[in-house]
Formats: sequence, structure tokens, C-alpha cells
Amino acid sequence: MMSDKMKKDPRLPDETFEPFEETRRIPLPVYWIAIALAIWGVFMLVETSHSTQVADKARAQLDKQEQTKTAQVSAPDPAAGKALFSDNCATCHGDAGEGVAGAFPPLHGSDVVKLGGAQAVTEIVMRGIGGPLNVNGESYDGEMPAFGSVLSDKEISEIASYVATGLNDGTKTISASEVADIRKVSGDMDPWNGGAELAGLINGLPAQPDAKTPAAKGPDAKLVAQLVNEGTDTVWSCASCHGEKGEGLETVPRLAGLPAAYLVKQLHDFQKGARFNDSMAYVAKGLSDREIIDLANYYAGMSSPSGATPSLQGDLKRGAQLAKEGDWSIGVPACFTCHGPSGIGVAPEFPGIAAQQPSYVAHQLAMWAGGARHNSPLGLMAGISKALSDADRRSVADYLASLPPVPGSKPADMVAMTTSASAAKESSNDQ
Amino acid sequence: MNRYLPLAITALAILAMATLFLVIAPGMQIGAQGPSPGLNPYTEAEARGRDVYVSMGCLYCHSQQPRSIAQAPDAERGWGRASVAGDYAYDNPHQLGTMRTGPDLMDIGDRLPSQGWQLTHLYQPRAISSWSIMPAYPYLFEHKDKADPGDVVVKLPPAYAPKTGVIVAKQDALDLVTYLQGMKRQYAPPADGLRDDGYALIAAEQQKQTDAAKASN
Amino acid sequence: MQITETLGLLLALSFIISLLALTILIWAIANKQVHTPDADDARSIFTPGEGAEIDTPDKPHHFDTERSGIDQVSASPVMWLIAAAVFWLIYGSLHGLAASLELHLPDLMSGAAQMTFGRMRTVHLNSVAYGWASQAGLAAVFWIIPRIFHTKLRMVGMVKLGIVLWNIGVAAGVMAIANGWTDGLEWLEIPWQIDIVLALGAACFVAPLISTTKHREVHHIYVSGWYFLAAVLWFPVLFIIANIPGVHHGVEQATMNWWYAHNVLGLWLTPLGVGTAYYFIPKIIGKPIYSYAVSLVGFWALALFYSQVGIHHLIGGPVPTWLVTLSVVHSVMMFVPVIAVAINQHVTVARNLWALKESMPLRFIWFGALSYTAASFQGSIEALRSVNTITHFTHYTVGHAHLGAYAFVSLVLMGAIYQIVPRATGKYFPFPRLIAWHFWLNVIGFAVYFLSLTIGGVLQGLAQLDATKPFADSVILLKPYLEGRSLGGGLMTLGHVLLAINLIALGFAKKTRETETDNMVAAE
Repeated sequence: MMSDKMKKDPRLPDETFEPFEETRRIPLPVYWIAIALAIWGVFMLVETSHSTQVADKARAQLDKQEQTKTAQVSAPDPAAGKALFSDNCATCHGDAGEGVAGAFPPLHGSDVVKLGGAQAVTEIVMRGIGGPLNVNGESYDGEMPAFGSVLSDKEISEIASYVATGLNDGTKTISASEVADIRKVSGDMDPWNGGAELAGLINGLPAQPDAKTPAAKGPDAKLVAQLVNEGTDTVWSCASCHGEKGEGLETVPRLAGLPAAYLVKQLHDFQKGARFNDSMAYVAKGLSDREIIDLANYYAGMSSPSGATPSLQGDLKRGAQLAKEGDWSIGVPACFTCHGPSGIGVAPEFPGIAAQQPSYVAHQLAMWAGGARHNSPLGLMAGISKALSDADRRSVADYLASLPPVPGSKPADMVAMTTSASAAKESSNDQ
Repeated sequence: MNRYLPLAITALAILAMATLFLVIAPGMQIGAQGPSPGLNPYTEAEARGRDVYVSMGCLYCHSQQPRSIAQAPDAERGWGRASVAGDYAYDNPHQLGTMRTGPDLMDIGDRLPSQGWQLTHLYQPRAISSWSIMPAYPYLFEHKDKADPGDVVVKLPPAYAPKTGVIVAKQDALDLVTYLQGMKRQYAPPADGLRDDGYALIAAEQQKQTDAAKASN
Repeated sequence: MQITETLGLLLALSFIISLLALTILIWAIANKQVHTPDADDARSIFTPGEGAEIDTPDKPHHFDTERSGIDQVSASPVMWLIAAAVFWLIYGSLHGLAASLELHLPDLMSGAAQMTFGRMRTVHLNSVAYGWASQAGLAAVFWIIPRIFHTKLRMVGMVKLGIVLWNIGVAAGVMAIANGWTDGLEWLEIPWQIDIVLALGAACFVAPLISTTKHREVHHIYVSGWYFLAAVLWFPVLFIIANIPGVHHGVEQATMNWWYAHNVLGLWLTPLGVGTAYYFIPKIIGKPIYSYAVSLVGFWALALFYSQVGIHHLIGGPVPTWLVTLSVVHSVMMFVPVIAVAINQHVTVARNLWALKESMPLRFIWFGALSYTAASFQGSIEALRSVNTITHFTHYTVGHAHLGAYAFVSLVLMGAIYQIVPRATGKYFPFPRLIAWHFWLNVIGFAVYFLSLTIGGVLQGLAQLDATKPFADSVILLKPYLEGRSLGGGLMTLGHVLLAINLIALGFAKKTRETETDNMVAAE
């Protein structure tokens, strides 16, 4: 049937034709292309060797930073101590350690420092301190974060030596290896519980007020512990991602010490879809209002060491500039303007950002910049984040990760059932 | 050409040269470095879990090789620092992967350490992320009337939970999660760690340009 | 620092060796140091034993493979290979289609581990790479080699044993993968224990080809022969080195993995496709290939450059920088052999476009040859660091892989099947219209497939590079393109079913073909 339709084209070869190749020269353009590609290839090799040199240099620099941080120098350098003091301590205690009456105790001419020396300063810097405390007869009731997790032994030795011998007339400095010994014992301990506990460390300390006993654990404490450590039938435990101490890791944020009202608002935003994170939306939808408030209060009151270290190769100097002064050439205010001195947060709206996980901070800034997160008051964070370059976001995130952690808030800042309900209403009006 | 032997010999010699440059030379260089300090061999449970990972073909959607900051925002996504050759010293078969239909998993143990989350997600990814296109792995789990002692019950939202009884994880699922929880590369990379630094120059030049633009403002 | 410099030197050395080799080759060709098949040579192709009608001085470059009995010997192993290849094509396409559907309908087939995406996709790759493309390519090799050497295929029994072993190996391999037993490396998933069967099968293919080559009755080896004879040596070496258990681990295993995986394409499937096109294009048209000198450059530059491109699959990864650059540079140098092959094949077709209308097989083969040029150009550009950073981990790469392995290799081999089968069986395809349908289903299906993945892949890559976009965005934006891929894949699979129908229909048809008929399979 088909063969009828087959038309034989007269030009078609017969079946016996045998493929062969003609003898023609290689066309000239082939030579040109080959030569051009070869030259390009050599150029690529040169460029690669430059690229490896750039990368090697960057790595060497990081290495050097790491080494200077961990170097064990026996004699602390007073100049370095002064510089570290103004970077880490002066925000609260003043440039000359004069303190703020009623809020931050003085370090210059302080009886605690005089009696305890560099040793006691190290203990306090390492663990932090909170609660009632008398210094030079004046009473204080604040919270100082633990610096043990953000400063190296050498840095603490330099600060403690400077406070003991530079701001006061002590003669004994402390070496990095002695600091290391103290770290071994008290590095993981909770902050000093006010002057009462400190009296046990420092002989002859004038009379101290009684320590506050921790608030009696109500019937909810067990339920909260259950939620934090085991979760419910439908919801995973908080600690399984945020860590036992609420310190977070990578893009999982640190929760310890964040304002309770802020935490409540975020959980409600996750519930409503005003803030996007699939896992947290899942969790928040599985929690009751009561549970949300209890958990927020639990994490707000938590003091835990920093779990963050700079890890995004950010420029710490640039990060510090953005955090402390902002950069008006790009219209960015200082982070600390809203988030409080040293990024410790201002309840109820502005969360602490000190010691926050750098990947989390950089990622959230990027999400604000891209519009995927849009639940900040007055849309402030969107404008700021859009102005920051990719490198700026990493720099500020890394700098914040280098700061001491936010101490847990006082019971006064906790959220009660009624206020949270109105807060929830407010934030729903925002949307 | 009209002789077969020279053709065959030259063809094989070229392949031998390629093998030398692509397999033998880098193999010697990488072998000389050994494992990164801080990297631990897989535990027995992790190794079993890794076998499940390999047999399910997770590799075809998930890479295990975060890129450098000079190239991509992997670190900002929480995927971890750029990996170096020594980070894979105990891997056989390697699972570097070539696709990111799903996210990179090199540092998943730091980013999502929750056993409960991982089990829910393996049982039904869409119980957590409605947009997810990851397969569900119900056959790694068992439907029981009641959990026996020692069973790990999967936490599920009402929409995905069985009407009666509970879903418990089989050993394969538990092992797989143990493997994922162990995927941590938080230790510092060795200073001489091997990786492709070909993007460092491009990034440095871009940085210079933005700096210059800023300075002129 | 010291080490980096030494290795930089090594890298430069490798590239310079490749360049030098290419320069020497071109110099030798330009100065006629390489023996060219001149008129004497051409005459020497025709042995005196052949009948005057077949081989007359006024009809050079003619030889009747049918009457000399050569085709009749090759016919049965070639038909076995084609039947097996088409079976694996359908089997593999269905798995590919299922895997594609699973990517946008993830709960479609989650009932059993055997049907999970990670396994379906892997069964697809192994079925089409080792079951379809390798066997269809071997069918072309066993058909063409005896023809260009003017001698019948030797050791036919051994070839048939090889076919049996090979298919047992592929079947056992894909069953192992479906049930979770895998070596876990891309392209090397089949467990090494089963690989032994495949290696034995491969050995059964190599020996008869070498024997046939030794008995050849022509002096000059036609260009298809270079590609085929080199490929059948390269593949076993690659396959055995890559599958030795216990030798490779860690990142070294990754470099070995991509050295192998890219060479399976570059030194196995590509030579099979290029060699087949080199034979059938002039054969069908009846005009010679443009230039012998250019084909020499094309062949040797392919061997030199293609063999070192594999590490571009690890750009930006935890492998030494010099190694990546080595592969990037060689990937870009691939322009040279590809341009050479393009000149030879496309010029021959472009001067005889009428033949595309007459011959369906030529349509398949020329579409394949064009795709080879496109895929290789795309591959060279994709290897550049600046481009690769976008496309590397995305579905763009999958589109590129299919442009090479499907639009090029598979289409050429389908054309070859349509050309070979009537001559091997002495029958016509009873429904030539279905061949055209098959062609257009594949071409249109592939266009949908390729455009979907190429556009979707670029968008996916850009989204993942943008820190201000959550990862979810890259998945959500991809979904319509994944659906497009399923549509394209469905059309392609339908085309493959038509191929099977055509072959089965021919099997039932009566013998109609006469020996001295025309070259064409069908005309519309």
C-alpha cells in the first residue's frame, strides 16, 4: 500500500553510496576562534591565581583575629584594658567609671572593687549580677549581663586589671591564665544573686540587702516546663530548636531575655499570618493564649549566656558604627537608639538584639528588606533594612553577636493575661 | 587516519591524562589533608540513618555544600559556613549533590535540631509548609492504636493526624533524624582547608565598587 | 602558599598540554603531515573481490552492503539491541514522567518507598542512560562498523551474549535502586556487584568490534569509526575505575564521580551520537562530508577537552580551586570540536535541505545534530563562573542535560533506528505517518520541556542568590515550570510509544522491501 505512494526523488542516492570526506582546508575562522579561546583560557588561569590569593589573604586575616583573641599574654596591657572598658563597660558605668546614681553603680572608688580586687571584678564580669546590691552605701537593683561568653580570658584580664588598678588604687592585676581558672569554675554559673551572694566572695563587704527569693513557682511552672521541654501532642518542644537555655543557633533566634510583650506579639503574628515562618506558624496555632503568655514570661525572665559568635565574615568596625551611630549617608539610625544601650532592648516593643544569632539577624534584616517580614512598628525596620547593603547586614549581625547577652527582665515587665489580650487586639488593628 | 592501534593508544592516553588531573592529583592533595579538626566520625545510628538518606535519594534535591559568602547568601539562610574538603572525610558515598530543589542540608543539625520537627516533616512536609514539594515518607512510620513504651509518637496537627490511634516512628525514621541532627559544621574550618576560591576576586571587586560609590556620595 | 603555587603550575601544565596537542595536530594537518584520504586511498576502499557493478572506477564511493552479505550478519544482534533499547526507553520515560509529576503533585505516589521521587528519578536515569541510549548507540555501532569496514561482523554469538548480560545487568540494577539498594553516586547508582555483570557484557561488545576492525577490508577508517572505536575503549575504562569498591571516599569520590559522569556523556554517549550522525547524514543525502581535516580537529579536540570538563559540576564547592578552573577552561575550549563537527555536518545538510523533506530518519538525525551544537555551546557558557553561580543547583541544569542526552543523542539514535530497521528486516514501516507524528511529538514536547526548565531554572537560581527572598520563594515560583516540564515530558513519552508501535507494526508486516530500492524509509 505504502509503496505506491513512495515517490522516488531523482536526486536521491542509491543504497550503495558510501559516506566519505572531502579534502578541504580548515576554514580560517576556526583558527581565530581557537586562538581567542586559548588566550582567554590563559587569562582565566591568571585570574584564578589572583582569586586564590585574595581568599588566602582573607583567611589569614581571620586567623590572625582568632589568634590575638585567644593568645595567652601573662601581663595585661593597661592601654588595651582602657579601650576594652570604653567599648564594653562605659555605656552604663560611664567613661571614668563614675556610674549613674541609683541605676548603675560606680566602679571608680567603689568599695566592692577595693575590697574584692581584680579577682572579684573578674567573677562579676564573667557571670553578670542582678538584684539588690549596695555600693558605697547606695543601693542598686539592676541587671548586668554576663560577659564570660563574649570576652576572651585575655580581654577579661585586661578589663579587670584596668578596673582594679587604673580606676582604683589597687596594685594586683590578674593574668589571663588566672581568668581561665575562674572560667573553669564559674563560667557556666548563673549571675550573682545581688550583694547577698557577693558577700560570700568578698571578705568584709559592708552590709548588703537580702537577696530576692525567686518568685514562688505557681501552678503554671510545671505546664510551662512541659511545653518548653516536651511540647504537646501536636506541637514540638520550644527547647528542641531554641536550645535548653533559649540561646538559639543559626537562623533559630535567641529568646532568653526578650521582652514578654514582644514575644506575645510575634506569636500572635505567626498565628494570624502577619509574620511568615511555617514552623512557627504551626507552633503558634497549636498554643492557647494562656500558653503563649506563660511561655513569653518564661523566656523574658531567662538569663543565659550568649550562644552567638560572629560567623558571617562581617566587618565588626562597620557593624559597631551602624549599631552605635548609624549611617546618615544612607539614612540609617543607630540600632541602639531604639533597641537600647548595647542592644539590650526596650520593653515592650523593641527586642534585645545583643547576643542574637548572627544568621537570624542577617536573615531577618534581609526579609524586611525584601518585604517577606513586615510586622515592625510603623514599618521602621523595612526602611532601615532596605538601606543596608548585603555586607552591612552581615556586619551589623556579626557585631551584635559579639555583644554580651541581654539579662532576663524583671517581673514588672512581664505580661499579664489581660494586657496581652489588648496587645493582641492592637496588633490586629495594625494589620 | 587508517591505523587502529595508534588511535586506540592515543585515545586511552588522553583519558589517562584526564584521570591524572581530575581524580589522582586532587585525590592525593585531599587525602594528604585528612579530616577537619573538630569533625567526628559517624556514630552507628548516624551511619544507619545516612544509609536511609542515600537509599531514599535525598541527594537528588538536597545539596550538602554551602557556598562561600563571596558567592551566595547561604550563610545568611542559616545553611552554615562554606564547607572544605576535610569536612567530608568520613563520607562514603559522598552526598555533595547538585540540586537545590530543597535547601542545603550540610548544617541542618544546627538549624533544625528538633527531632519532633524532623519526624513531623518526614511524615508529611505539607503539615508544616503548605508550599513544600518534598515527598512524604509515610512508610518510615507505623500507625498504632496505642503507643508502646519506648515508641516515639509523631506530633501531628489535626488535619494530618489519624482519626484514631497514633503515628509512631520506625527505626529507619529515627536513624535518619539522628543523622540529620548530627549534621553540624560549627567548628572553625582549618586555615588550609580546600575549596573553590574562584569567587573571592569577583566579590572583592564588587565590594570595591560599592565602597567607591559610597565614598562619592 | 607553596602548595598553591605548585598546584597552580600543575593546572597551567594540563591546559598547556591540551593546547600544545591541538596546535601540533592543526600544524600537522596544515602541512599534510597527517595522511589524508586522497584519491588513491579512496580507490583502495574497493577491494578487487567485489563485483564490477558494485565497485566500478566510474562509481567511486559506492559499495553494496546488502548484496555483499554484511548487513545480514549484523541484522540479528542489531535488532536485539534495538528491541531492548526501545523497551528501556519506554520504561525509563514512564519513570521520568512519574518523577516529574511527583515534583508538583508530591502526594500523588507516596504510598510506597519504591515510588518516591528519589528512586523514580534514579530508575529513570539508569534506564535511559544504560538501557536505552547505550544499547541504541551500540545498535548503530554494530550496524555501521561492518559497513564502513566492508567486512561482516565477527563473533556474533559473543555480541548476543553481551546483550543478554547487559540487559540482565540493567534490569537488576534498576530493581536494586527501586528497592533502596544503591551505591549512592549520581550516574553510578547501580550496585557494584551488579556492575560486574554490566562490565562483562561490555567486554562482550568490545572484543567483536576489535576483531571486526582487524579484519577490515578498507585501508582508511571513516570518521564514524574513530568515534565508535575510541568510545568502546573509553567506556569500559571509565566504568571499571569508577565502580571499584573501597577506593574512593569523601571529596575525592566527588571529583571521581563527576569525572565519570561527565565522561559517560562526553566519551561514550556523545561519540555514539556524533559517529552515527557522521555516517547517516552523508549516507542518506548521498553527498560527502565537508572536510576531512575539520573532522580530525573535531575528534581529537573532543578527546582532549571533553575528558577534563567534569569538575564544572562542583564549581563553588569544597574542591581545590585549580581543579575547578581546569574544568571551566576546558569546558570553554569545547567550542573548538563542536564548531568543527557543526561545520562538517550542518554544511552537508544545509546544502541539501530537500533531503529533510524526503527522509524522516534524516529529520531526526539533523535535529539531533543541531541539538549537539546547541547543547555544547550552552554547556560551555554554563561552565563560566558568572553564569554557573545562577544555574548550578537549579533545574536549568536538568534542561541542559536533556538537550544533550535527549534532543541530541536520543533523537539521532531514533533516526538511526528508523533508518536501520527496514534494512535489517527487509520490511517497510506500515504507518509512515506515525513516524512524522513521533517526530513532532518529540520536538514539540522537548521544546516545552526545555523552555520550562530553562526559564524556571534561571528564576529559581536568581531567587536563591537573593538574600532578601525566603527560600520558599524559589520553590513556589518554580511550580508552573515543573508543570510545564510534565506536559513536555508527557508529549515526549507519547512519541516513544509511537516508536514502539511502529516497530511492532513492522514486525507484523509482510516482507515488502526489495533489495535495490531507494534509500528512503517513507515519504509523505
